[in-house]
Amino acid sequence: MSRSSPWRLAWRQIAGRRLNRFCLGVLVAYTALAAYGEGVYQTARLRDRTPSYQIVDPEMQYLPPVGLRERMAPATEAEAGARERAGRWRHPFGTDALGRDVLQRLVQGARIAFWVGILTSAIAIPIGLTLGLVAGWFGGRVDDVIVWLYSTFASIPEILFILSIAMVVGRGLTGVYVGIGLTTWVGLCRLIRGEVIKHKERPYIQAARALGLGHVRILFRHLLPNVLHIVIISFTLRFPAAIGTEVFMSFLGIGVQGEPSWGTMISDSRMRLWYGYGWELFFVTGAIFLVVLAFNILGDALRDALDPRLRRVDLPG
Amino acid sequence: MPGQGGCRGRTPAVLGLLTLAVVAIGCGGPGLDAGTRDGEKVLYAPTASIRSLDPARVGDVTSVQAVAMVYETLYEYHYLKRPYTVRPLLAAAMPEVSEDGRVVTIPIRRGVYYQDDPCFTATGGKGREVVAEDFIHAIRRVADARIQSPGFWAFRGRIVGLDAWREQSQSEAGPDYDAPIEGLAAPDPHTLVITLTEPYPQLLHILALHYAVAIPREATEAYGDALGQHPVGTGPFILHDWIRNYRIEFVRNPTWARTGRIETYPAEGEPGDAEAGLLAAAGQPIPFLDRVVQFQVGDASTAWLMFMRGQFATSDIGRDRFDLVVGPDRALNPELAVRGIELRQAPTLTMSYLGFNMTDPVVGPNRPLRQALAHAFDGEIWVRFHNGRLLIPNGPIPEGVAGHASGPPPYPYDLDRARDLLEEAGFPGGIDPATGRRLELTLEIGGEESAEIRQTVDLLASFWAPLGVVLRPSYNARPAFWEKMARGQFQIVRLSWVADYPDAQNFLQLFYGPNATAGPNRARFTDPEYDALYEEMRGLADGPARDALIRRMVSIVNRESPWIYAGQPVSYVLSYPWLLHHKPHAFPYGMRKVLDVAPVREF
Repeated sequence: MSRSSPWRLAWRQIAGRRLNRFCLGVLVAYTALAAYGEGVYQTARLRDRTPSYQIVDPEMQYLPPVGLRERMAPATEAEAGARERAGRWRHPFGTDALGRDVLQRLVQGARIAFWVGILTSAIAIPIGLTLGLVAGWFGGRVDDVIVWLYSTFASIPEILFILSIAMVVGRGLTGVYVGIGLTTWVGLCRLIRGEVIKHKERPYIQAARALGLGHVRILFRHLLPNVLHIVIISFTLRFPAAIGTEVFMSFLGIGVQGEPSWGTMISDSRMRLWYGYGWELFFVTGAIFLVVLAFNILGDALRDALDPRLRRVDLPG
Repeated sequence: MPGQGGCRGRTPAVLGLLTLAVVAIGCGGPGLDAGTRDGEKVLYAPTASIRSLDPARVGDVTSVQAVAMVYETLYEYHYLKRPYTVRPLLAAAMPEVSEDGRVVTIPIRRGVYYQDDPCFTATGGKGREVVAEDFIHAIRRVADARIQSPGFWAFRGRIVGLDAWREQSQSEAGPDYDAPIEGLAAPDPHTLVITLTEPYPQLLHILALHYAVAIPREATEAYGDALGQHPVGTGPFILHDWIRNYRIEFVRNPTWARTGRIETYPAEGEPGDAEAGLLAAAGQPIPFLDRVVQFQVGDASTAWLMFMRGQFATSDIGRDRFDLVVGPDRALNPELAVRGIELRQAPTLTMSYLGFNMTDPVVGPNRPLRQALAHAFDGEIWVRFHNGRLLIPNGPIPEGVAGHASGPPPYPYDLDRARDLLEEAGFPGGIDPATGRRLELTLEIGGEESAEIRQTVDLLASFWAPLGVVLRPSYNARPAFWEKMARGQFQIVRLSWVADYPDAQNFLQLFYGPNATAGPNRARFTDPEYDALYEEMRGLADGPARDALIRRMVSIVNRESPWIYAGQPVSYVLSYPWLLHHKPHAFPYGMRKVLDVAPVREF
């Protein structure tokens, strides 16, 4: 990569704004937490122990988070005793209905969310990219078939489609991955197809053709690098969307099972909202808000930086 | 700390209560004068959807309650006594049973007349007297395959000749209501003789169900399928007006006064009833109410607000609202208590349990394992988690059912004992020698996963985690769940059994070997000694001999531990103090006749 390659320029443009740097920081922090969560999960699995975020302590139920602990009067003597035991800093984000630590479960929720974002992308992006490249490049019958296929997919209400796939594959994380992965490639496929149709008449492709290069080589060596920015932008936008879908599915009880997910945590926290026990809901929705906001702002910035039409920096002649 | 619930300065709770208070005040006071209208005593109550008023065609609680306003059965449950006891209603006395237990003779009361109805052409529209044939007619209608009654289970294979008559009713010629049935005879108009295929002491409870009512053949023939909208009965009320899915109104049956029929409020109850004022009306003629008006309110919040305004005398407490109404200390929210609202609770005749599949290779043959898991089940925390809406049972027969004996639970929470038993079971420290890892057990759950179910399962898993046993939940859609139950493809299952009638047999059948494959014995428990005792007990009438058998059977079940008793749910009902003689009843059918409303100024 030369000093003034488009990628470097894009990076300069993104890193130049404080908001972008903040969002990047947020994402790095989430990724680190998710990685830590994965470590905790795998360690417990290998050691055949109940992980700490699953340890139920009925005596500790509904312990308010730090900051609220002193302000909320305990309802019962048992609650008062629990607060004394917890001291000031234990369970900083409070505990849930079963006395489990909300912070640790929040981190596990981030782990699940990242897996969902990454794995559904790993399913959807190759499908959308390949079909989009093939449809745009070959045109004709091949294009007709692929356009028909994605139009059919797009015409089915997405949530129902995801739910039915998840039902077939089985409840749980696999259902979530496959359900979201198999239904969300259409948008990317459309964009790539359009972009390829645009590019295939450009001189550099004409030149490659004139040189007698094969389809595969032209598609993957010449076209792909020129449409890759779409994939990157699409990834940053679909990642939070996939997280949202997972939260929704888990909230309905057809998503993650046996592990804490942001969706199940929201669903659980509804039970005692009347009492004012709303911290679990608050922290989870806050976490979702932050991660979705960060991804969207970065996605926007990436688009601004990578889309030649929107580029603000002139490329050196 | 009683009295603190809901009043702890927590914003949402306070806001919720404020909303309730504002609505209540904004609607012009509590409106407690709803109980009287034009000098009549009127009870306003909510109802769910009523499907039909034809006793042979309904089986759901709401419809049966409406049916029981108009129709009466041979026997009924005593309003106040617990455990629930059967007493004659349209029968003149308790049945006489022959020595072999197969012939049951029931004397029918004299001087009970149907309500006036144009279908009685012979008497010019005046209701005629009830005769034994009317009950035979009602049972025939339940057996009539064309009516598709949900109640035929109660008589299937029990009455001589009835199953054959049902077969015939399926033929092209249709049912013949004049053809005699050997097992159902009326030697005279006031004697009903039922001949059974084998002794069936539970028949008494069956005859308290709404399938054995007095129903005049004139009405069924005159109205045909429209009988569901045109009930003709002997009950304390008659149907006055019914706008489907909106409003139903019953008025006092004038035939009672015309024919001089007098029923009285019960004079006996259980300890505590007199103190609760439930015996104040002892011996007074019933019904007290002139009119009962019920509205079908589709939206639970609307029904709740109507109750808060005093438009309804009672309200159940929806799951969503439970935490607001009943505080963590299980006392009524002070804001509601101030308004005079009373909270009543009574155990339901339901047993919730965790059943082990006795044909499963891991939990089936391993009694110490089941006992260890039962010892690790912490009933106290379980009850607290369920907000006190459960009682922890001490055996398979819940409180309130005849045959229940009080005593401590068979497997009290004791982790040390559980660990010892687990070692004896071959899983020291919870380690499965086959895998070298912790023993994993699977719990099958039917229906959608909800927050409550998920947390319950997590709590259950936490009981067994200290033993080193891992519980994995498996959530199933309902059809798939019942398919697994039918095939016996499960390890542990969470289920409930709701009593059909308050007799120990109804629960003890759940462990009877022949019920294991197709019947309700979901745990697939088989024990030759138990089966022999059950067969002996089944034919016995109530008495010390039967009680002794029941005790032995319960001890076998407790020893073998095919179930972990996960609670007997308690029902909570709210009512205003101007609703008199209100006592929760597991079989509330026809019981509105004892209710009364008082003028508000007395409170």
